[in-house]
Amino acid sequence: MQGERESMGDEHLTEASDPADEASTKSHHAVSVSVGAAAESRQRASGDAEDQDIVFDIEHLNVYYGDFLAVSDASLQIRENEITALIGPSGCGKTTVLRCLDRMNDLIESARVEGSIKYHGVDIYGDGVDPVEVRRHIGMVFQKPNPFPKSIYDNIAFGPRIAGFKGDMDGLVEESLRRAVLFDEVKDKLNDPANALSGGQQQRLCIARAIATNPDVVLMDEPCSALDPIATLRIEELMLELKQDYTIVIVTHNMQQAARVSDRTAFFTVDMSRGGQRTGVLVEYDDTGIIFTKPSQKATEDYITGRFG
Amino acid sequence: MVSRTKTLSATDVVQQTLRGRRYDLRAAAFPTALLATLLISLLFLAVLLIDIITDAWSVLSTRGLDFVSSPLSLSAESAGVWQGIVGSLMLAVVVALFSFPIGIGAAIYLEEYAPDNRFTRFINTNIRNLAGVPSIVYGLLGFTIFVGLMKLVGLEGGHAGKNVIAGGLTLASLVLPIVIITTAEALRAVPDSIREAGFAVGATRWEVIRHHIIPSAAPGILTGTVLTLARAFGETAPLLLVGAATGFFSTGNAGFLQKLTGAYTALPVTIFSWSRQPGADFRALTAAAIVVLLAVLLTANATAIILRNRFERKW
Amino acid sequence: MTHRSNDDIRKHFEDLLDEVRRGAVELGSLVLENTRRASEALLENRLDLARAAKEADDEIDRKYVDLEQRVFEILARQQPVAGDLRFCVSITRVLYEIERSGDLAVNVARGLLRRDGYQMPPHIHGLMARACRGAAELFQASIDTLADLDATAAVRLDEADDEVDDVVGELYAVIGKASDQIGFDVAVELSRVGRYMERIADHAVNIAEHVTFIVTGAFPEERSPAVEDEG
Repeated sequence: MQGERESMGDEHLTEASDPADEASTKSHHAVSVSVGAAAESRQRASGDAEDQDIVFDIEHLNVYYGDFLAVSDASLQIRENEITALIGPSGCGKTTVLRCLDRMNDLIESARVEGSIKYHGVDIYGDGVDPVEVRRHIGMVFQKPNPFPKSIYDNIAFGPRIAGFKGDMDGLVEESLRRAVLFDEVKDKLNDPANALSGGQQQRLCIARAIATNPDVVLMDEPCSALDPIATLRIEELMLELKQDYTIVIVTHNMQQAARVSDRTAFFTVDMSRGGQRTGVLVEYDDTGIIFTKPSQKATEDYITGRFG
Repeated sequence: MVSRTKTLSATDVVQQTLRGRRYDLRAAAFPTALLATLLISLLFLAVLLIDIITDAWSVLSTRGLDFVSSPLSLSAESAGVWQGIVGSLMLAVVVALFSFPIGIGAAIYLEEYAPDNRFTRFINTNIRNLAGVPSIVYGLLGFTIFVGLMKLVGLEGGHAGKNVIAGGLTLASLVLPIVIITTAEALRAVPDSIREAGFAVGATRWEVIRHHIIPSAAPGILTGTVLTLARAFGETAPLLLVGAATGFFSTGNAGFLQKLTGAYTALPVTIFSWSRQPGADFRALTAAAIVVLLAVLLTANATAIILRNRFERKW
Repeated sequence: MTHRSNDDIRKHFEDLLDEVRRGAVELGSLVLENTRRASEALLENRLDLARAAKEADDEIDRKYVDLEQRVFEILARQQPVAGDLRFCVSITRVLYEIERSGDLAVNVARGLLRRDGYQMPPHIHGLMARACRGAAELFQASIDTLADLDATAAVRLDEADDEVDDVVGELYAVIGKASDQIGFDVAVELSRVGRYMERIADHAVNIAEHVTFIVTGAFPEERSPAVEDEG
């Protein structure tokens, strides 16, 4: 699987004709910034017994909106080719943490991030890191499906096009739609407006759009909350297939969903001890099986059994 | 004996309340009153139109096309609105050339780039204020600045700088706040989810604006600009102040540049000047010119509506 | 179901779990009562009590089936997780242990009725009485453990079970020596009864171990309930 992805990445990116885009001809694992080789060579987290790369190494993450501390001192590691679920009650900061991973919080003026988030060893909030480039490596799918008001084809093609892709766009569009298990349903109407699709189809389109730029991570912010149960199950099935090639981090308030699809689950809760501020804190992070059969924190047990939330 | 009182079941209550006929006077009176106000407004409009058209009939029916294609004249029999139409069109071009790029650009900056702080809010408030400034003030501004500007840059021409460029610039200043506001509104109507989607896929802010926001807002911006031009078309007071010719003038066989830098008039100005002439003939001319102006405005507004309906999207 | 919360968020669900727990304790009490009944019938040669024990088992079986069905529904409809899930799965096993114990008590009664009573020499009678008492006390303790959700009881019960095992072992030896005196068939029957009592004790220990799992998520160190002592 790994080899297959590498070759797909090269196929996309070596076609870039702009010499300034030389950076994007590197493998999809590298982020094209001017960082020393030493940082890039750090592919494995120290002390990790698993035979898996750590994709995100989050350390002491604090997120402020102005003076308001939204997330306090969160540290966790996201592993490659796993589905990691972030769960917790409203306002616990799980979406905030997710949006830090692809620097989408930059779009909020008052947002301020402290601590470090290392993506394949590179601190994405470090000096000289281009957030636009970060977002090419890390895709995102949102709560309400938000296709561009363009054709299905153009939705998928937009990302690669502006990234400088000059190769077989038809092939790329088809491949992305196939991976999102949508191609067969739309292959005869690629030029139709994307808004004409059903909710579930639109969300799969958004997933196809996210993977078209050949990221290695897909972030999903409550991707199924606007969908009916069958569409939801389809997306979950899709996630399970996608995790072979991508690392997936999903925020969900549906605990059963987290239980069904994720490999590891992080439980956040609201801490009101800071003078009435509702600050999010990470309570427990473990194998999903353990979280849902014998969690080690009472707060976790209270939440997942529905005694509190 | 215990008397049995019949208690009503839920079914009974429902049947009584739903089947029983009831006539609520107040509920019926309200829409009737509203309808009446609508009819009264339409009545005013109708009276105005009928009045104008009857006055204009003598000119329009006898001279028709000739009226539209004739230049100004001292005699009522041969005067026409051609110069007025040409002048208004040229003004429209100048207005479009200056106010659209500047206005749209400013709106894009304010909506998409400017940080949300006191200063930005201050600017936004003042643009709104400017939109409300009486148009005659812009006329004064235009006379002081733009006419003088013409002299400065050597475009004084044959009319001491009181040419179509100065007039156009004046009108452009007048409508600029409106262009900014309508464009900003059209941009704001594009949902943030589209922007987020664009960013998430690795686009820069300009790429998001250029490929997604402007195309989505285009119908709204277009409608706004058409309506703006229609508004500019009908402005009279500022043009008077900035020196549009009210009396007879002729550019004869002058070249294009001379026409551009020389005297000019506009349709509303023609109407104004004719309205000041004594005599029934000129009254009819005035009315006829008004009809022409109304026709143009109606067409412009209809175009805007058609455009908007054609491009309307449901998010 | 390892704690109670003051929140009413899932009161309905809490009530459902509570009903099952109380039902299991009641079932256990019924079986305990029947065990004592069967023991008394055995030791006093009271055939009427033996018949009563047999009839009582019908109600026990009915309750067992009903409780099992309730747990299935909770699993299907409430999607329990963590402690609640451990409780639901474990309580079905506990119910099984209780019901088997009930069957064993009835077996004792049946044997008695088949033979129209036993004539037990005093030595055997004494040991049998100790075995019956030991089994009943253990079973009582296990029901208390279930009622209190005491995670620490399993170890104690395990030790007490060793004592019952010893008594039954002695009983076998004595029966063996007296087999000529009482007759081979009777010897076999009495050995069986001894075995039933020993197994009731084992079931009691298993119940306590399941309670430990419900509370802590792990079984006590030494044993897993799948292993039963072969006597």
